[in-house]
Amino acid sequence: LLFSQRVLLLVASDVDALCACKILQALFQCDHVQYTLVPVSGWQELETAFLEHKDQFKYFVLINCGASVDLLEILQPEEDTIFFVCDSHRPINVVNVYNDTQIKLLVKQDDDLDVPAYDDIFRDEEDEEEDSENESEGSEPSEKRRRFEEDIIERTMRRRQRREWEARRREILFDYEQYEYHGTSSAMVMFELAWIMSKDLNDMLWWAIVGLTDQWVQDKITQMKYVTDIGVLQRHVSRHNHRNEDEENSLSIDCMRIAFEYDLRLALYQHWSLYESLCNTSYTSASLKLWSVQGQKRLHEFLADIGLPLKQVKQKFNSMDVSLKENLREMIEESANKFGMKDLRVQTFSIHFGFKNKFSASDIVYATVSLMENVEKEGPETTNFIKALDSLSRGNLDKLHQGLDLAKKQLRAIQQTVASCICTNLVISQGPFLYCSLMEGTPDVKLFSKPVSLCLLSKYLLKSFVCSTKNKRCKLLPLVMAAPMDVEQGTVIMVGIPPETESSDKKNFFGRAFEKAADSTNSRTLHNHFDMSIIELKTEDRSKFLDALISLLS
Amino acid sequence: MPVENKQGEHMRKFKNKGKNMDSLRRQRVEVTVQLRKAKKDEQILKRRSISFSVVDQSLSPGEDKSDEVIPMSLEKIAEAVNGSNTKLQLQATQATRKILSRQKDPPINQIIELGIIPRLVEFLTRADDAALQFEAAWALTNIASGTSNHTKAVVEAGAIPALISLLSSPHMHISEQSVWALGNIAGDGPLYRDALISCSVIPPLLALVSPVTPVGFLRNITWTLSNLCRNKNPYPPLNAMKKMLPVLICLVEHEDKEIISDSCWAISYLTDGSNDRIQIVVDTGILPRLVELMDRPELLILTPALRAVGNIVTGTDEQTQAAIDAGALAVLPRLLQHTKPSIQKEAAWALSNIAAGPGQQIQQLITCGLLPPLVELLDKGDFKAQKEAVWAVANFTTGGTAEQVVELVRSGVLKPLLNLLLAKDSKTILIILDTISNLFLTAEKLGETERLCLLVEELDGLEKIEALQTHENNMVYRAALNIIEKYFSGEENPSLQPGTGQDGLYDFSAEKQDFDF
Repeated sequence: LLFSQRVLLLVASDVDALCACKILQALFQCDHVQYTLVPVSGWQELETAFLEHKDQFKYFVLINCGASVDLLEILQPEEDTIFFVCDSHRPINVVNVYNDTQIKLLVKQDDDLDVPAYDDIFRDEEDEEEDSENESEGSEPSEKRRRFEEDIIERTMRRRQRREWEARRREILFDYEQYEYHGTSSAMVMFELAWIMSKDLNDMLWWAIVGLTDQWVQDKITQMKYVTDIGVLQRHVSRHNHRNEDEENSLSIDCMRIAFEYDLRLALYQHWSLYESLCNTSYTSASLKLWSVQGQKRLHEFLADIGLPLKQVKQKFNSMDVSLKENLREMIEESANKFGMKDLRVQTFSIHFGFKNKFSASDIVYATVSLMENVEKEGPETTNFIKALDSLSRGNLDKLHQGLDLAKKQLRAIQQTVASCICTNLVISQGPFLYCSLMEGTPDVKLFSKPVSLCLLSKYLLKSFVCSTKNKRCKLLPLVMAAPMDVEQGTVIMVGIPPETESSDKKNFFGRAFEKAADSTNSRTLHNHFDMSIIELKTEDRSKFLDALISLLS
Repeated sequence: MPVENKQGEHMRKFKNKGKNMDSLRRQRVEVTVQLRKAKKDEQILKRRSISFSVVDQSLSPGEDKSDEVIPMSLEKIAEAVNGSNTKLQLQATQATRKILSRQKDPPINQIIELGIIPRLVEFLTRADDAALQFEAAWALTNIASGTSNHTKAVVEAGAIPALISLLSSPHMHISEQSVWALGNIAGDGPLYRDALISCSVIPPLLALVSPVTPVGFLRNITWTLSNLCRNKNPYPPLNAMKKMLPVLICLVEHEDKEIISDSCWAISYLTDGSNDRIQIVVDTGILPRLVELMDRPELLILTPALRAVGNIVTGTDEQTQAAIDAGALAVLPRLLQHTKPSIQKEAAWALSNIAAGPGQQIQQLITCGLLPPLVELLDKGDFKAQKEAVWAVANFTTGGTAEQVVELVRSGVLKPLLNLLLAKDSKTILIILDTISNLFLTAEKLGETERLCLLVEELDGLEKIEALQTHENNMVYRAALNIIEKYFSGEENPSLQPGTGQDGLYDFSAEKQDFDF
């Protein structure tokens, strides 16, 4: 991966992509590679950016975008254009997999891709000779002809075999492309690359951690995958951070240290009050059913059980009694078990900047998402992206703090929306899936016109709904959620998420389903997002689109 | 230049690294295509084609046994073929046929080196063993389908008389296989073609054509006949040609596309010669049918029909007139606008020959509305077709009357014609300059020289002709200089300035008025 020429970096708008980008930027800096960075939020932007820059660049690096489509088909690049694709989106388009001249995929070797075998999906040209027979039409007859073995029967046999092969191919591709899911975090892949090149730094490691944590926070990967990858990163963490242990006292302000931790699954609690965090964390809120009066009562019982006075819990975590904080985690975990929250303890990492600042990996994810999808617009589209990217550098604590504040707002908004959706029975069963639509005018609805925020909301809502409903069938259903996107243009954004079950493989079939529903109804849709389970459509087309979706999935 | 090319090729080779086998293979095919094209010029095109649909299975007992064919080593084959066990002979011949019939790289050379060809030819005469005859005929067919040396090996083993006598075999699949083998021999070139003819291949071959002959068989016969008509230096004997023609006339009426196509090709070969040969074909009255076929949408049919008609109009004025009378001029406009460049080119070529005729034929050309498509082709056609169109215009201006030439200019021929002065090909440029001189001669007769000068100038023609004075080709330079000196060197008369001032567009209707007399 050495370039003497300028490289164009096309980076998707998600935290994992930002982290991978940070690592790559650091590597480029280290190797004096010149590059231009262009954020892309969807296929259209990707295409435009490519067209704009294709004359100046030969090398393109795509982060968290591009793997799932046939890039050569879509972008029609020159023959000497080369794409390096680091994308956690699965499945990877088969053409990308089998083209190793123009498409270089950066994929972790042990990632289970289940790519269909080459022979099952591609066929040698020679077999098509028969079909191209007519191409020579109009040329002189041959002067000599050999008589081949095959006769009519053999020919029909061949044709039949071919048809069978094609049917099988369709089936294989259908199975392969049916579900969307995510592979190893791109930041992790990028970090391993740096590691192989012996250019890995502690900063890079931290970004890899944040990238992985993003996948976990966004619920993109299975618990198994998360734990496995945490294990991988933990080895790197101890390799990079052990030497500091004896010098701990001599830590300077700008020194950073990463530590593996069993931490509480409470969002932002170290920068909030414990009470607020408990209320606004999806896991606790759903488990305790905080949207009801009973739930609130349960929360107080829970706090009492831990032995925490309300006054202490409601003040800033930093200001809590040190004596209380000492065994806080153990105490909370113990009580949580009694209240049915067995998974309140999670494996994660934290980072210390000097003495003062300590952040958990999920803190950074929440803050970065909020910065990236900040709806209070200032300046051009890319401002948010750049800000979010900057907040990942350790020198930019002020941006990070700004992000944390935004994240608190966002989590509160999500929680309130979830509560109101559940209390007003906005989640309705459509048969094959649950459906919830946010009305224009709902508080904070603007926040949810953004894909990542809407996905977070959907996931939290589904979790809470599953805890609230007594209908067993409904507990197993996926959820489709719609929110107004652009009132002036009359568009809604819709997202589909897989069922919330413990053994969920996090595979999502809504991408294909949306595509088909849109086709069959001629709905005016824009399937622009890199996650195909997110679609934009005209408000008027929503009902026919939904009808088609229901009949499709029934 | 060659150095650059090499480098490009080198780069491509380099790029092949890691490319999948697929694209590699395609490149190799392209190379052979190029070779093939090169050969085509020398009229020795050899195209491997996929077999036509083969004998009805019910009619081919040999086929039925094909499942039982036992693969054998080459030594075993030689041993068995030379041995006296008839069962083993059949097995070995079948095995030979089988390996020669596989799609990829049949080991023709190795089989020849085994020295079994004389025996295979001998097997052809074994009237008691039809299966053996059939297998031997098939094997020999495939050997003869190779290079000239391969064919030679078959012929020198005495296969010609044996195969000809098998044409009359009571077993249809055997006579069909013989037809095929003989087709391959005839296709090798004029020498073997005439060897076959002098061995009287034609009568028994023609005897096979009957209303009940299966289509697949008839296709093979037609193809073999076309090979017997094919190739020049020398042409096939006149009496052979006269024998085959009546049957070809029948075959051209068949409904099967491949039969029509191959018989049209045969006609096109026969018309590709001296005027007396063309006359023999024209006398059969086939022209209306050829013109009809020229109008068919299938390239398979349209191409050879157009070729045949194109050949005929290279003949005498009377022969050309026969083609016109058959309606050729009504079909040509569509062909000039055909999507396929090769068809445009052939059509323009035919047109250029008609334009070389007497004024009355040129008049028919105008009446049939050929000028607009000709101008369009000159303007936008494929370059090879444009070159033919230039010829058509040149011939037109040479033989046309003043009125006809005026008509030509009115239809807007000047602009695309002058544009083609930018072509790289100096021969084309010379013809255009000649044509321009012709136009000026006509204009002089009409006293319209000044107007033509203005017209040429308006269309930026003068600029282009002037530029040609520095052309590296001496003849081009002189022709250009000649025109400039003769028509553009005098003092310009200010009263004759072009009337284009109003809207900046060249007024083509003005052109019409100017030349209206």
